[in-house]
Amino acid sequence: MAMKGKRIRLWDLPTRLFHWLLVLAAIGAAVTGQLGGNLIVWHGRVGLLIVGLLTFRLAWGVVGSTYARFAYFFPSPARVAAFLRGEWRGEGHNPLGALSVFGLLGLLTLQAASGLFSNDDIAFAGPLFSLVDKAVSNRLTGLHHLLSNVLIALVGLHVVAIVYYGRVKKQSLLKPMFTGWKEGGDGESARGGGLVAFAIALSISFALTYGASGLWLPAPPPPSAVMETPDW
Amino acid sequence: MKAKILLALLSVTLAGTAAAQLKPEDAIKFRQSGYTFMAWNMGRIKMNVEGQFNKDEVVKAANAIQAIANSGMGALYPAGSDHGTGWEKTRVKPEFFTNKEGVTKVAMAFNKEANEMARVAATGDAAAVKEQFGKLGASCKGCHDDFKIKQ
Repeated sequence: MAMKGKRIRLWDLPTRLFHWLLVLAAIGAAVTGQLGGNLIVWHGRVGLLIVGLLTFRLAWGVVGSTYARFAYFFPSPARVAAFLRGEWRGEGHNPLGALSVFGLLGLLTLQAASGLFSNDDIAFAGPLFSLVDKAVSNRLTGLHHLLSNVLIALVGLHVVAIVYYGRVKKQSLLKPMFTGWKEGGDGESARGGGLVAFAIALSISFALTYGASGLWLPAPPPPSAVMETPDW
Repeated sequence: MKAKILLALLSVTLAGTAAAQLKPEDAIKFRQSGYTFMAWNMGRIKMNVEGQFNKDEVVKAANAIQAIANSGMGALYPAGSDHGTGWEKTRVKPEFFTNKEGVTKVAMAFNKEANEMARVAATGDAAAVKEQFGKLGASCKGCHDDFKIKQ
């Protein structure tokens, strides 16, 4: 173990903001999706926020600081094997945790993407619904429902792992995710992920979220010009 | 003249027989038509709630939904119509035919909200229409969640 008092910068601010905003947004999406009714409109809005967060994180995984980069914690079979033998040394996501991170990010991306094309057979459809056939939309809606259960299970596993680390291994994973600092450890503080990188990731996120919002699609007959039907 | 009356009687009888022995694929078509027609009307209410509110349009749409909700559509689920293709393959779950109590519950919840929708529409209160539209949509979801197959 490192000298007492040593601490390193582990999670940069954008990574932490992403994480906690995603927690809130995912809870919001789950609740509004379950309740339906007029809240389904908010489900769509929160979904777009999640698209924004995920696309930011995907870009940040390339241009962000050391421990936020996908290449740094990519769970290659060799790394996972080393970890299982107890030979892994490093900071941030360990190879098993990294599997969970990639799993969560991947499935959430699939979840958000399928939602964009979905419909509820009532009066709501995702912003890109008009780009696909109804049958395709129905399929994606089915996937969206299925994935929501898988994701709830994965998030549960994620939380259980954090509790396990805290209680059994006496290592708080929560604190660094709040403060950014990790007490002890052998590694060095994270580098990179400055303002320019942040601006790049944010631009990519905005561009992709605009694409997902469907605002660029040829406008359907505007709701303000509501048609009037004949008397028969 | 007699022949005409006889023909009329005969066709009434035939129609009656047809209703009593609704073929599963016809039943599926009728019910799918009902839901599709309601979807059009749900969309109309939504457009009016989100855009310029036109009371007459909302009343027409809400009355149409109410009429279908109270039309006795439950009769369109005869034995054997758990599988089959109407306009498209039916997406009703097998549980629909075994869980009578559950079906009655969601169906009556829908009827209640559809009746309320028509009542609220008649008042012309846009905010109240919006709120009731949400409740009506949630009552549709109640059945979709439990008795409609996710593809």
